Amino acid sequence: MLGLFSTLNLASRSLQAQMTGVEVAGQNLANVNTTGYSRQTVQITASPDANTPIGPEGTGADATSIQQAVDAILNGQIQSQNTTSGYWNGQQSALQDAQNALDEFLSGSSSTSSTSSTDSTDTTGTGLSSQLNSFFSAFSALASSNSYTNQQAAVTAAQSLATTFNNLGTQFGQVNTALNQSLTQDVSSANQLLTNIASLNQEISNSESSGNPNDLLDAREQDLENLSQLTNITTSTGTGGTVNVTIGGQTLVSGDTVSDTLQTYDPGNGNLLVQTASGGVNLTLTGGSMQGTIDARDGTLATLQNSVNTLASTVITQVNNVQNSGYNSTGGTGNTFFTGTNAATMAVNSALTGNPALIQISASATAGDDTSLALQISQLATATQSGLNNQTFNDSYDATVAGLGDALSNANNQVTDQTTVSNLLATQRSSISGVNVDEEMTNLMTYQRAYEASAQLVTTVNTMLGDTINMVSGSAA
Amino acid sequence: MRVATNSYTGEMLDQFSSLVAQQDNLQSQASTGLAVQAPSDNPAAMETSLDDIAQQARQTQYSANISALQSRGDTIYSTLESLQTIVSSASEITTSVGSADTNSTSLANYADQVNSLINQVVSAANAKDPATGQYLFGGTASGTPPYTTTTDANGDVTAVTYNGNGSVNQSAIGEGQTLSVDIPGVNTSGSGPRGLITDSQSGADLLNHLISLRNDLQSGDTTAITGTDAANLQKDENNITYQVANNGVAQTQLTTAATAATSNSQTLNTMISSASSANLVNTMVELNSAQTAYQAALESGSKIMQLSILNYIS
Repeated sequence: MLGLFSTLNLASRSLQAQMTGVEVAGQNLANVNTTGYSRQTVQITASPDANTPIGPEGTGADATSIQQAVDAILNGQIQSQNTTSGYWNGQQSALQDAQNALDEFLSGSSSTSSTSSTDSTDTTGTGLSSQLNSFFSAFSALASSNSYTNQQAAVTAAQSLATTFNNLGTQFGQVNTALNQSLTQDVSSANQLLTNIASLNQEISNSESSGNPNDLLDAREQDLENLSQLTNITTSTGTGGTVNVTIGGQTLVSGDTVSDTLQTYDPGNGNLLVQTASGGVNLTLTGGSMQGTIDARDGTLATLQNSVNTLASTVITQVNNVQNSGYNSTGGTGNTFFTGTNAATMAVNSALTGNPALIQISASATAGDDTSLALQISQLATATQSGLNNQTFNDSYDATVAGLGDALSNANNQVTDQTTVSNLLATQRSSISGVNVDEEMTNLMTYQRAYEASAQLVTTVNTMLGDTINMVSGSAA
Repeated sequence: MRVATNSYTGEMLDQFSSLVAQQDNLQSQASTGLAVQAPSDNPAAMETSLDDIAQQARQTQYSANISALQSRGDTIYSTLESLQTIVSSASEITTSVGSADTNSTSLANYADQVNSLINQVVSAANAKDPATGQYLFGGTASGTPPYTTTTDANGDVTAVTYNGNGSVNQSAIGEGQTLSVDIPGVNTSGSGPRGLITDSQSGADLLNHLISLRNDLQSGDTTAITGTDAANLQKDENNITYQVANNGVAQTQLTTAATAATSNSQTLNTMISSASSANLVNTMVELNSAQTAYQAALESGSKIMQLSILNYIS
């Protein structure tokens, strides 16, 4: 038999246990909207029985632990998924920038007829394709009539074409710079996260002896997930609840120590890559937004830049080959048509922009109105070029545009797919770790009622103790 | 499955965002009439459309070239008609000399008429295209009028000099098709486009033949007039008739090419629309569906958000 004081002690421990339950429910409610928070549950277990002559007798209950509702395997899946999502988000962002830089869109206005599936009229391109068309049309018109107006129109169309190429060269350069900056920022963010993780490892290790450091574990998990969006990470469990982090085969966090950090380096072509800062080990990343950015920059964007530069140099070479062999209307020669060698440097000879009549479209020094070379230049529009894989200028450019479109479309689809998977995993984790207000309110009432009952037990035992004391006092009197 | 409270808000926001994006895309399609605007929308359709647009631009330019050539061809035809009249007048003089008694006075009058005809031919041969101001019969040479004359003390033309050349410019009128309506004044090479005034293939040499006729009229050499001069003028007439026929053939070719360019342009327009245009009926139906789904999501979401156990405990 426990006796009144033991029962009072039982009631007191019960009050503490239920109070802990109320506190945990309150903690959960307070963090209902906290990102990365895992709901906690209090473990209340029966105290060891006391052996009595009539058999084992219960001694109440104690709050033995506060545990997180966490699925470690699911967290691992989410980290892995973050790496994949980060990779495609990096690709999508880079390729979207490239598509905007290319500025090749279709524009048009719809007709009011609503019954046909083919209502649109006057659909035109907006970028280089339009300028190529205008350039060759201007020379076709010049071939038809060698007037000063047409000479001026041809030179103006050539200037517009060159300016568009220049803009593309500039835009691609800016996108490249922006992607390098994005990579540098990602590296900086990763280093900050590595520092945070090491620091949290230390705090967790220090707190392990006094129970589960649930909120620290949540914070570290959040940092690991953020890091996994930036790059592919491998984790392993260390001593004292710590987590070691490895990137690209290099261990960067070992226990509570950041053994190395990341930095960008220039391999010589201006396109930054990632290495370890102290060790100087060049890393081969396999996922995350860093590698997504690198792959988009060194893959699709580089191909796009090369294609546009090759197109520009081929236009320059082919047009100059024809024009430079000719004579102007007074039999003069010596004025090359295009200057420069690529998209960024292409320009129309300033002598021609100053005086379009100097354009050399006559095949004979004595035939000033001969336009046969203008016709030849206009016919370049439909001529295949060996330097462009035996495609015409337009076909080559159109294929380049479609190549970028394919890459971005694929990235868009991947992002959509990965978002769906991420959402499913987030929902699954939320169903395990997320806080439900209804549930917590119910728990709150449960613990409140239990607390009230335990308090009633204290009152009852107190009354009984009073009765006992009064009984003793009464008999003494 | 257990559902956390903030799962509602997260999922609802995702759904709202998706539905708004869907409506935005459909609204853009409805307002522009284009289902494909960016390369990533449909890379294959974009490539096809850009290729078709390039072809359409060429067809538009072919139409412009054809229109310019038709105008130039009409001007040339008018000149050819004038020359036909001139040659007929000269031929009538040779016939008149051969068919009636002529005296020195009448021959002198005929000579004056031929002098006038010579000046008319020079003027016609130096005609310009009113649209461009370029000489019509100077070939591809530029700068000076195709014909300059040498005159004697009486002001009679004794010789003519051709300042042009035998080449003509070609214009693009279709894919791989070029055409010229121009006629050089002289062609003594025996190949290429025949000369309008002088042509070695046909034996035409109108101005020199008229000068010979005038000289023979002035000298009273009726045998030469009715023989050599008449025969030479026949060659000139035949040559101009050939040029008229040739002009007609070119005009027919231009009409055919213009029809083809218009037809090709329309076909390409249809192809571009087929590849890139939005089906407005489908677009509007899809837009209505998306709006309905959005309203339903908003209403159901707001109702779910209002419900909690807190509404029932006190």
